[in-house]
Formats: sequence, C-alpha cells, structure tokens
Amino acid sequence: MTEYVVRRLLYGVLIVGLVTVFVFLVLRLIPGDVVRLQLANAPGVGEAQIDELTAALGLDQPLHAQLVTFLGDALHGDFGTSFQSQEPVTSLVAERLPITLQLGAMAILIGILAGVPLGLLSAVRHNSWLDQGMRLVSVAGISIPNFWLGLLLVTYLALYFGWSPPLVYQGPGQDLESNLLHMILPALALGASTMASIARMLRSSLLEVLHSNFIRAVRAKGAPETLVIFKHGVRNSVVPVFTLLGLQIGNILGGTVILESIFGIPGMGMLIFEAVQMRDYPVVLGCVVVYGAVFVLINLVVDLLYGVIDPRIRYARR
Amino acid sequence: MSELGIPPAGNAAGRRLRGTWRGLRRFVRTQPLGAIALLLITTFVFAALFAPVLAPYDPIEQNREHLQGAPDGRFWMGTDDLGRDILSRVLYGARTSLLVSVATVAAGGALGTVIGIVSGYFGGSWIDTALQRVMDTIMAIPGLVLLLFVAALLGPSVLNTIIALSLLVVPSFNRVARGEMLRVREELYIEAARANGCGLWRILGRHGLPNLLAPMLVVLSLVFAIVMIAESALSFLGIGTPPPIPSWGRMLSEGSRYLEIAPWMVVFPGGVLTIAVLAFNLLGDALRDFFDPKQLR
Repeated sequence: MTEYVVRRLLYGVLIVGLVTVFVFLVLRLIPGDVVRLQLANAPGVGEAQIDELTAALGLDQPLHAQLVTFLGDALHGDFGTSFQSQEPVTSLVAERLPITLQLGAMAILIGILAGVPLGLLSAVRHNSWLDQGMRLVSVAGISIPNFWLGLLLVTYLALYFGWSPPLVYQGPGQDLESNLLHMILPALALGASTMASIARMLRSSLLEVLHSNFIRAVRAKGAPETLVIFKHGVRNSVVPVFTLLGLQIGNILGGTVILESIFGIPGMGMLIFEAVQMRDYPVVLGCVVVYGAVFVLINLVVDLLYGVIDPRIRYARR
Repeated sequence: MSELGIPPAGNAAGRRLRGTWRGLRRFVRTQPLGAIALLLITTFVFAALFAPVLAPYDPIEQNREHLQGAPDGRFWMGTDDLGRDILSRVLYGARTSLLVSVATVAAGGALGTVIGIVSGYFGGSWIDTALQRVMDTIMAIPGLVLLLFVAALLGPSVLNTIIALSLLVVPSFNRVARGEMLRVREELYIEAARANGCGLWRILGRHGLPNLLAPMLVVLSLVFAIVMIAESALSFLGIGTPPPIPSWGRMLSEGSRYLEIAPWMVVFPGGVLTIAVLAFNLLGDALRDFFDPKQLR
C-alpha cells in the first residue's frame, strides 16, 4: 500500500513536471516577442531598454537554459512576477485558488447529492416511467453546455422571480450569505452535468450488480430489499462512479473558467482568462500548472479511495 | 487474383456498400433513439450546407428599425441588438460549428488513432510509454484551460480554433484505439499477417484498424458532442471564431448582455446547440449498444 502511494505520488509529480515543460515550450514557441509586447504601450523606448529588459527576464539565454532556470525556480514555488500587476504569480494564485476550489467543491457536492439518489431510484425502478424520465433528464444534462445553463438560470430567475445574484463578489469570510448566493448559480450550472453523469453511471453499474448471482444468493437467504440494495448492491457498484468522478473534475475545473467570467467571481478562471487576454505569460503559465496539479492531485486521492470503498482492490504492482 | 475465384474489387465494394445499408437498417430498427438522433444530425448537416438557401435574411444585415425584436411572424427567432435576424444567424452558425467540428474530429481523430494503434501494437515497450506520457500530460490539463491557453496564444481564427480543439481530442481517440489495439494484437490474424511478411503499416492499417472501427465510431460521435460545446465555449470567451462569422458561442456572449431585455438572443442559439449536442450523445450511446456483443444475444 505504502509503495503504491509513493509510486502514484511520484508519477503525479512527473506529470505535473511534464505539464510545466509542455506549457513552457508552447509559450516560447509562439510567435511574438514578449518584451516588445510589454513595452508596446510605453512610448519612447529605445533598443537599449529592450535589450535590458530581455536580459533582466533571462530571455537572452538559450531555450534549454531558460527551461532549467524556470524549472528550478518552479520547484521553489517561484513562477516569476506578473507583467501586469508586478505581483509574484504564486501569491496571485494563492489568493484566487481557494475561490475556485470552493466553486468546484460546491458543484461536485450538488452533482453527488442529486446524482446518487437519481441513479439509485432509476436502477431500483428499472424500466418504470421514473427510470425513462431520468434517462432523458440525464442525457439532456450531459448535453446542455454549462455556460448556457448558467445564463438561462440568471435570466429566468430574474424574469419570473425577480431574483438575481449579488452584484459584487464577497469572500466567505466577509459575508458568507452573499458569497453563497453568488456561488450557487454557477455551482448549479457546473454540477448539472456531473449529476447527470453520476446518475447514468450509477444506474448502469448498479443494474449490472443487481442482476449478478451473488445478489440472487443474498435475496435467496431472505435479506430485506433495503439491505440487498444498500449493503450489497451500492457498495459493489460505486467504483466506476468514482472513476467517473475523477474525470468529471477536469470538466468542472475547465468549466470554472467560463462560469467565473459570466458571474464575475474572481477565482483562478478569471485570473487565467484575464492573463491570457493581456498576454501576461508568467501568470498564464502558473495557472495552467496549478490547474494541472490540482487535477492530478484529486485523481490521486480518488485512486487511493478505491481501496477504502472496495477492500478487494489490492495495490499490487501490475 | 481472379483465377482464385475472388471477385474483382468493384464487386466487393458494391457488396460492402450493401452491407453498410443493411447495417444501417438494422441500426434504425433496433435503436429508435439512435434513429431519432441520426435524423436530427441529418437535419443539422442539411441546415448547415444549405444555410444560404434556407436563411430568410442575410445573417449580417442590420435592420435598424427592428432592434432586439421579439420572435414574431417576420423574424421567427427575433432579432439581436443590431437588428440581425437570429434564425439566419443560427443557420449560418451551424455552418461554422459543423466546419470546425468536422475538421477537428478529422485531424484530432486521425492523429489520436494513429498514436493509439501504434502505442497499442507496441504495448509495454518504450514507444508506448513515451507516447502515453505525452497523452497523460495533455489530459492532466483541464479541457477548457488547455483550449484557452493554446487558442489564445495562437490568436482568434477558425484555423487556430481547429488546432486547439484537435489537441484536446487527441487523447480520447488515443485511449480507445490503444485499448482496442492491445486486444487485437493478440489475435491470430495479426500473427498470420506478420508471418506473411506484412510491413508494420500494412498490419496496422489493413488488419488492425478495420477491427477497431466499431469502438472508434462510438468515440467519434461522443467527441463530436464535446467539440461542439468546446467550440462554442471558446467563441463565447471571444477567442474562437472571430466576428463577423456567425457562431453560436459568440451569439450567446452578445446575448448575455441583454438577458432580461431580449432573452431570445440567448435561448435560441443555445437551444439549437444543446439539441445538436444531444443528438451526438444519443447517437454515441445507441452505437455503443448496437455494437455491444452482449446485446446481440
């Protein structure tokens, strides 16, 4: 077990490292001189100043040397300073990350709380009208673009109920109620597809388990139906749902970019979106790496949870 | 070859075509939802191809006297903030969406499939490991973040959108192709081909690939759905299809400023997008059930 955890952790570090290298290379291969872009707005800069800034940013070094310097700094948690605000990227990210994590966590929570009962009911009442309705809802749920759903929620809540989310974002420490009211619509929009995917996966997985021989044996010994479903059924059908959840995290993290910009939530999504528009490369790079690291880390946790849910899974080397 | 009693190629092609036709009929009969999806997709392609004929107005013509008009008999889906007919823009937007999706799926699908079958055929070797590390790296970046990053650096254009989206879908094709190839490479006919002295590309192309077609068709359909949403998301963020080319994502972002005054600006383009995505998802599900050997019993 320990060996497995260590091995998975090292692999995660490797992937995050590769993400960093990938992002770095793509940034450098893109046409357009960073320094000239930076100085484009400042009038009356001469070639001397351009050279000076190039040297200060280390951009006159060969590519592989830049990469080594960059990776070394990144290992120390230093992703450089923002071109725009002159603040260290690390502190910018540290400020914004919790907001995005809160949004993501709320979306996942909504997805689980709504998706699990739906999938469960659907499998237990297999082929009933409820099951058919649920299948329709869930395939629609995975098809609705989350940003469109977000826009519809805002529009129709305002038109029919006269309710709209707070205009200015407040942190959970400042005003928890306002914060939650601000977050609930984007979280719902993000969570809808997670709900639908969980319901679909749990339904098909539970159906397969409920038709297996050991469930027949449990029923034959006279176990009450609730015990059959919850103790024997659900427990054995939840592993694929967890795998799916790990993959859904990627959708949710990606979705935060667009929903944060719709709802004016100052999280990582907003940060990277603004940085991309301003060509603020250090911030873009830091954000992509952190997004990747969060995704890899969550999937690692999901992998480790398999063993808790299903003790039959042994982490032996394949 | 003909002395061995093997019919000439033209005949074989005809037979294959008839086989496809028969398969399609069986698909429509056994998968009613899939048939509906196929009908919707045909309508979508038809609308995209014949947009200039079907559209009642010019999609960029501005009717100054009819700004943000609600849907009525003249403008079925209403008009936008510049007085442009939304129905016409939705029809032309279907063209953009279709063009980008087809190009993306073709480019990303081809690359992902080649990487997948090569990787699967050499499963466990250093080639496989190296290729899969690259795929894992791309997959470790959340989809929209990757798109935002690549598309924004390249600049907003249709071609750059296609490049960014292709990069996003390569791992999906790779995963399925590799998984299937790991299974297929153990088959006797692959060993026979190898024993006959077939070259690598002939083994992969003629003996491997045709046997992966069923699962690849399923991924193709599901990836189409993903690409259509992603293209709209990029255009929504203003880094996808540049104006004045009508695109659903851009229509949504323009409409998002007038949510309470003119909700139809958002409702119709998004609704059509959702239906198109739904159709591809349903088709993918139906194809999976159709090809599933368990269902044949």
